[in-house]
Amino acid sequence: MITLLSSVFGVLVASLLLFLVRRDHLHISHGLGWALAILLCALLGFAPRIFDAMASSLGVSYSPILGVALAIAALVIKALMTDIEMSRMKVRQQRLIQKVALLESELQEMTGRPTIDD
Amino acid sequence: MMATQKAGSAIMGLFARNRNVITMSNLIAPRHPRTRFRAAVLMPALNEETVIGDHVASILKAVDLPIWLIDDCSTDDTAERAAKAGARVIKLPARLGAWGATQAGIREAASRGLEFVVTMDADGQHNPDDIVTLIKPIINGECDVVIGSSLERGSKARRLAWRMMRLTSGLQIQDLTSGFRVLNHQAISLLAKPRATTLDYQDVGVLLMLKQAGMRMAEVPVVMSPRANGKSRIFSSWLAVAFYMAHTLLLGTLKRSRPWNQK
Repeated sequence: MITLLSSVFGVLVASLLLFLVRRDHLHISHGLGWALAILLCALLGFAPRIFDAMASSLGVSYSPILGVALAIAALVIKALMTDIEMSRMKVRQQRLIQKVALLESELQEMTGRPTIDD
Repeated sequence: MMATQKAGSAIMGLFARNRNVITMSNLIAPRHPRTRFRAAVLMPALNEETVIGDHVASILKAVDLPIWLIDDCSTDDTAERAAKAGARVIKLPARLGAWGATQAGIREAASRGLEFVVTMDADGQHNPDDIVTLIKPIINGECDVVIGSSLERGSKARRLAWRMMRLTSGLQIQDLTSGFRVLNHQAISLLAKPRATTLDYQDVGVLLMLKQAGMRMAEVPVVMSPRANGKSRIFSSWLAVAFYMAHTLLLGTLKRSRPWNQK
C-alpha cells in the first residue's frame, strides 16, 4: 500500500513539475533539483527494501524513520540554500535601487526634468 | 604637528560661515574632476516635512557644505521642502530603511571622491553647530570616523540596550546608536562596498565593520535635541524594538572580533 501511495505521489509531483516548467513558473535550474528528488522518491517508492538495508547498516531499528529523517534533512538544506540565495538577491536588489536613485538624481541635475514615476 | 594644526584651522575656516580663507588647493589633495566640493552632509529622511525645511536651512547657515537628502520614499512633502530649502534630493524608488538610504549617499560620495561626509538625522535632533567640531579630528588626520555622542539623551532602557550591545559586540563606543557621524574617504570606500549592504541598521554592524577594517574611531560629545515630531521610525512599536534588539545582539555576538583577530 505504501509503495502504491508513494508511487502515486511521485507521479503527481512529476506532473506538477512538468506543468510548472512548461508554463515558466519554475526556472529549469530549480526543476533539475526537483526532478532528482522525484527520481529518488520513485526509486525508494518502488524498492523500499533499500531503506531496510541502509537502516540495518546504520543501526537504526525502525527503518521508515530513516527515510523521514533524510527527507527532513534535505528540506532543511533546501530552505537554507534558498535563504542564502535570497540574501544575495536582496543585496543585489538594494544596490540596484540605490544606483537607480543616484542615476535619476544626476539626470535630473543635468536635464532639469522630474524623475520617472513608478 | 603645529603645521598640521595650522592647516586644520585653515581648512576649518573654509567650512564655517564668515570664513576668511578663499582657497585650500595648497593644503589637501587635488579636487576630484566631477565635483566642486570635497565633502557633503548626508541625511536619510522619511516623512519629515514638518521640520526638514528649517533643518536644511540651519545646516546651510552653520556650514558651507552641500546637503544630500536621501528620500526613503516619503509619502509627504519632505523631498519638495528639502529641495526648496537648498538640499540636493536623491529619491529612492523603493524604501530601504535609514541605513540603505545612507549607503546610497555614501556610494555617491565614493564615486565623487569626497574627502569626508557628515551623516545626520533629518528629524532635527542633531545640532548643525556641532558639525564643525566633529569635522576637526578628521581634517587633522587624528581619526577616520568621528561619532557625535550624546549620552544624556539615553533613557534607562536605552542605556541598558547600549550596555547589552557593547557586551555582545565588544565595541567600546558609548553612544552606539548615534547617527551623527563624520566618515573620511577610507571609511566612505569601505561602507560603499556590497558587504555593507548586507546590514539592516547603521549601528553595531557598521561600527564592527569599521573597527575590524582598522579604522580609527573617536567619540565627541554633542548635545542632541528631542525629536521634533516625537516618533521614532525604527522603534515604532515594542515588537519593532524587540526585533531590533534580537537582530543587533545576535549580529554583535556572531561578528565580534575574536582575540586572535584583533588589530
